[in-house]
Amino acid sequence: MGSGRRTAPPRSGFRRQPRRGSRRARYSALGLLTHGLAHRQWPRVWHDHDLASSYDVIIIGAGVHGLATAYYLAANHGIRNVAVLDRAYLGGGGSGRNTAIIRANYLTPEGVRFYDRSVRLYETLAADLNFNVMFSQRGHLTLAHDDGSLRTMRWRAEVNKLEGVDSEVIGPDEVKRLVPVMDVSAETRYPILGALYHPPGGTVRHDAVNWGYARGADAHGVQIHENTEVLGIDVEGGRVRGVRTSRGDVSAPVVVNCTAGWSSLVCALAGVPLPISTHPLQAAVTEPVKMFLKTVVVSGTLHVYVSQTDRGELVFGASTDPYPSYSMRGSLEFTEELAGHVLELMPSIAKLRLLRQWAGLCDMTPDFSPIMGVTPVDGFLVDVGWGTYGFKAGPVAGEAMAELVATGRTPDLIAAFDLARFAEGRLVGEKGAAAVGH
Amino acid sequence: MTATGGFRLPAQPGELIDRSRLLPFTWNGQRHVGLAGDTITSALAADGVRVFSRSFKYHRPRGILTASYIDPGVTVQVDDEPNVRASHRRLAAGMTVTRQNAWPSLRYDVGTANQLVGRFLTAGFYYKTFIKPQRLWPAYESVLQRFASGGRLSGDSVHGYYDKRYAHPDVLVAGGGPAGMGAALAAAQAGARVMLVEEEHELGGSLRWGGVEELALLSELRAAVAAAGVEVLVDSVVAGRYDDNWVSVLQRGLPEVQERLVKARVKTLVVAAGLIERPFVFSGNDLPGVMLGTAVRRLVNLYAVRPGTRAVVLSANPEGDAAVADLRRAGVEVAAVVDARRGEDIHRALGKREVTGVELADGSRVDCDLLVTSIGWTTPTSLLNMAGDRPRFDAAAARFRPTDDLPASVLAAGGIVGDGTPEELVAHGRGVGAAAAGRAGFGGPSLADLPPPLTGRPHPGLFRGRTHGMVDFSEDVSSKDILSAAREGYDSAELVKRYTTATMGPSQGKLETVNTIAVLAEATGSTIAELGTTVWRPPYAPITLGALAGRIFQPVRYSPMQAWHEAHGAQPLVAGMWIRPDHYGDPAAEVRTVRERVGIIDVTPLGKLDLRGPDVPRLLNAVYVNKWSKLEVGSVRYGVMCAEDGVVMDDGVTGRLGPDRYLMSTTSSGAAAVWEHLEGWLQTERPEWQVHVTPLTTSYASINIAGPRSRELLARLTEGVDLSAEAFPYMRVRAGRIAGVDDCFMWRIGFTGELSYEIHVPASFGLHVWEALLDRGRDLGAAAFGVEAQRILRLEKGHLIVAQDTDGLTKAFDAGLDALVKLDKDDFIGRRELVWSHERGSAYTLVGLQPVDGSVVPPEACQIVRGANTIVGRITSSRMSPTLGRSVCLGYVLAELAGPGSLVTVQLPDGARIQATVMPHLAHIDPEGRRLRV
Repeated sequence: MGSGRRTAPPRSGFRRQPRRGSRRARYSALGLLTHGLAHRQWPRVWHDHDLASSYDVIIIGAGVHGLATAYYLAANHGIRNVAVLDRAYLGGGGSGRNTAIIRANYLTPEGVRFYDRSVRLYETLAADLNFNVMFSQRGHLTLAHDDGSLRTMRWRAEVNKLEGVDSEVIGPDEVKRLVPVMDVSAETRYPILGALYHPPGGTVRHDAVNWGYARGADAHGVQIHENTEVLGIDVEGGRVRGVRTSRGDVSAPVVVNCTAGWSSLVCALAGVPLPISTHPLQAAVTEPVKMFLKTVVVSGTLHVYVSQTDRGELVFGASTDPYPSYSMRGSLEFTEELAGHVLELMPSIAKLRLLRQWAGLCDMTPDFSPIMGVTPVDGFLVDVGWGTYGFKAGPVAGEAMAELVATGRTPDLIAAFDLARFAEGRLVGEKGAAAVGH
Repeated sequence: MTATGGFRLPAQPGELIDRSRLLPFTWNGQRHVGLAGDTITSALAADGVRVFSRSFKYHRPRGILTASYIDPGVTVQVDDEPNVRASHRRLAAGMTVTRQNAWPSLRYDVGTANQLVGRFLTAGFYYKTFIKPQRLWPAYESVLQRFASGGRLSGDSVHGYYDKRYAHPDVLVAGGGPAGMGAALAAAQAGARVMLVEEEHELGGSLRWGGVEELALLSELRAAVAAAGVEVLVDSVVAGRYDDNWVSVLQRGLPEVQERLVKARVKTLVVAAGLIERPFVFSGNDLPGVMLGTAVRRLVNLYAVRPGTRAVVLSANPEGDAAVADLRRAGVEVAAVVDARRGEDIHRALGKREVTGVELADGSRVDCDLLVTSIGWTTPTSLLNMAGDRPRFDAAAARFRPTDDLPASVLAAGGIVGDGTPEELVAHGRGVGAAAAGRAGFGGPSLADLPPPLTGRPHPGLFRGRTHGMVDFSEDVSSKDILSAAREGYDSAELVKRYTTATMGPSQGKLETVNTIAVLAEATGSTIAELGTTVWRPPYAPITLGALAGRIFQPVRYSPMQAWHEAHGAQPLVAGMWIRPDHYGDPAAEVRTVRERVGIIDVTPLGKLDLRGPDVPRLLNAVYVNKWSKLEVGSVRYGVMCAEDGVVMDDGVTGRLGPDRYLMSTTSSGAAAVWEHLEGWLQTERPEWQVHVTPLTTSYASINIAGPRSRELLARLTEGVDLSAEAFPYMRVRAGRIAGVDDCFMWRIGFTGELSYEIHVPASFGLHVWEALLDRGRDLGAAAFGVEAQRILRLEKGHLIVAQDTDGLTKAFDAGLDALVKLDKDDFIGRRELVWSHERGSAYTLVGLQPVDGSVVPPEACQIVRGANTIVGRITSSRMSPTLGRSVCLGYVLAELAGPGSLVTVQLPDGARIQATVMPHLAHIDPEGRRLRV
């Protein structure tokens, strides 16, 4: 494996700063009460800074991956002289456009272990960050409409169980019990034969995760620079030296690309080609109605996934658009197909109104797995290629990337996802579980 | 309650109601009677109803604000339909209308307690609490969920009838006010086919609530529009504008059709959406009885409803002055007119459950039950935005106005552009309409010039007064929430929107966006112009899922023999697009028929592609891993296709029917994908190759005749083909006549492991040939078999099924196809990966497996394990074999465990473990293939 061959600078290269007294006010019900009584203003969640001329680590992209990496660098490793740069506002890319589904019911043992670690981090994230990210472990159902997908569900369930992840195959009656609005009759065009039920899966409030990490990183001394576009990456003698931004040049021995949607363009600035093609992924949301759908429902056959937020809206997604594009406009056809498929599953919700549609960009790799770790340019690291499954991996990716930066060693959990695998023929292959399985 | 209603006025010149038609309905269980032409709101307001709902977060009482579709406080449940816009929906007899968001009643609402603690429920409060203990979060969450706004869906609702329509108008005009009617008229008079779309129930826009002159102009315009042959869609809304003027229109209120989605490819789109009146932000601005000037004008003039008894009006424009005149005419006492143009202001609205008075800027109080504000406008630029325009804020006019940054096929007309008298708006519309027609190719190029744009008249910039009030009525977001969010750091338009949820509600910012930006500008010391607006996303108005879905077309494919299958008790199997016979009652018996006599199976769904041209061998060499150059006429060959990553994607048999003519078969499930794959390859990678691909899957009915007596049976029906083993050996193809049907193909191949023939007959004769085979084979014991028997037969024989015995990771070598892959061949799809795969060797090997206890059939997808939980393989296929009387399997095991005779451990779904033996061959019966070659 490619681990450890090219590395971040040695450990001594960083100034490790002891944890400072927290600058932030703790959030709590009592705090809300006292702030409310005293009409006191809450302190800023993160602060503005002048851009310094150098940092120990520069992270490109203030989405969940970049912010989590920064947070864990500071919180777990004491590396605080870190800048997170974003060309627009924090959490405005894929991190604010996804449908916020969290699950670990993947197919390969590597995938299951990796995402299970992420689920566990999400489980304690609110407490760790002192920011309620509203992780709602309401259960995740992947429907099977033919014996082939039922077999795949059983395969995933068996692998999950062996990896200690709670998943099981259930029958149509149990599906009906969990989702009373579902049409499980045999008369539908694609009858529901069963489902993979994954109780720990669920949804999270994605903005809260971004903001929670940003607030946590800021409290540890990390600088977050919004509206700071990276225009160039300086490489000398095979080593990264720093970046050129719309607000001036900055030097750093380590630069981490945590972007999505434009990751191949950012990597190209450092002369690192990526085997990525970028596809739009569309999503949509309805008006709120009273709670009737308490689990996440996914149907690969019908290309749809749906969940209901605590506010009462249904959030929908589908598969990526079939053509590469950087356009983030929604299409009419998407909403038509989506509605048709949802009504196949739940015919009684035809009177619910679609309120808004949008699109995000997905960096697809040939094996539907991310690219994490070192590149041919020393000190230039990547955490990219997150396709349609990036948000659910934010915490674990940040934790692992921080460990790589701090120790110079690729953690085992991400060793399989190195960039070199494409040149050496070691594809990972989560195609089956990732295709529509959000 | 009476039919007239205590607040109903005498006849008004522009009223829409029919006083002769009474419509009974219920509101929260109480009987009411409205009039035809009423909206739900106007009927209730005529009966004196003031409180229509409770707000989402603080459960504050809410009443009429805009009296239009986007009225935020009057969303109700009508029968089984949630979230009905009561200020837009026409009343119908027998409606059951109920409140949303109030329990147990509008008057006594438990959620009102939230008002008392409102100080602590600031925007985003939920991010700051319920953090610990974590185990209690699900309980907190279910409480939060209970406060979700919106109505209730009924599980018993039926899908209903929804329709779609395609339209190709030359000019589509969005908005049927004075400018829109003018535009439609001018475009139609230039010869263009025009579609005019109006959101409300009738054309006219603001002319409808004008005086005598406006009403005269309106009837003149309506007559002209009708005479000009314009297609008018009322109660319809242009929901989205997509690339190349692909325009979606939602049409409502059609008889029998609940909603219709009209999809229009439009040459020129004219956006004449007018203006939306903007609320003012001040304390108490959401109390029932606080209304916009246009709401008053609608209620009085369109529905003859007196909106209150004693009014205070804050006016900054002529529309506000006109509202004052309307109120006086309606007999409402106007206690005070506060003229913002003279710097006058109100401080706050007073009252708990409804407005009871107003505190003016000087501290004096005026009692009233109606407070009217007319303080400015929002430009609904949504459609222009979707076409690429980024409107600019015009501080003098106190509203956003479009720029010229639009494609030539999109134009703006009327109030959305600037101000004017009704006549000026009509004239501007006419000019733009003529230009639109010109751009669509009518009336000559000179007409394509746009009229001079309307300018924005100066208007005081009023957004928030001296007190804090609601900015987003549907989401319960106050100006204080926005200020504190900005101070906390959520200080860009996008962040403040996401944090406070302002503008995220049902009206999607039409009422709220500009005020949100204004308060944010105040908080950050910047200006509205600097902050700009957020991106408006489609749809402009919400659309039901039913309308988007339309009638759901999910095509089903049946073979020509389906009627026979159904008549003979076939159990249906959904196989993608196809419905197939799974079995006819006893699959084990069907297996024995094939092994001992002869069976026939309907395999019509098998993909069939006709390939012609001199370069077919090159194509076959590219897409299959094996070699095809030397395939002779009359021969067939088995081939495997891999994707670029070396993963097996399909398999099948391809035969050479003539020098330049081939027939390729694919798996049933892969038929469409393989066709796309071939076309993709030919059209993008090798366009110079001369190959024609024609899909024939449904043109031929396909039947497999399998079993030791199959030759005998087929010979009875075949003319012109010698079926003897010498003349027609294994892996050959012949064409001839079967049961009197010409142009049939026969392939001698054997998926079941028996002597067998796959015949493809023109589809129209499929049933005839099928019945002839059974009829002529009666004495041979011929019978039909289904997919399940075929799966058992092929498993006994050890033939793999792509996507069952292979998966998204299986490369050709992993599936034991070593003999097939010819790495010495010129490049082919997947070769590069397969070279690596070959060098490294396969981690896993596909093997035949037999459980030690032959009575146990481990379910497919069971994992093969070692130690506590290490996965070392899995079962891909398993069945009880009727031929062997024991269970048989295929599966993958680690290469080191693949030696014949090695024992592996299979974990069953219930956690129990069993032992299974690795067999020497994939085939559990006849590994040498003698039965095939007889």
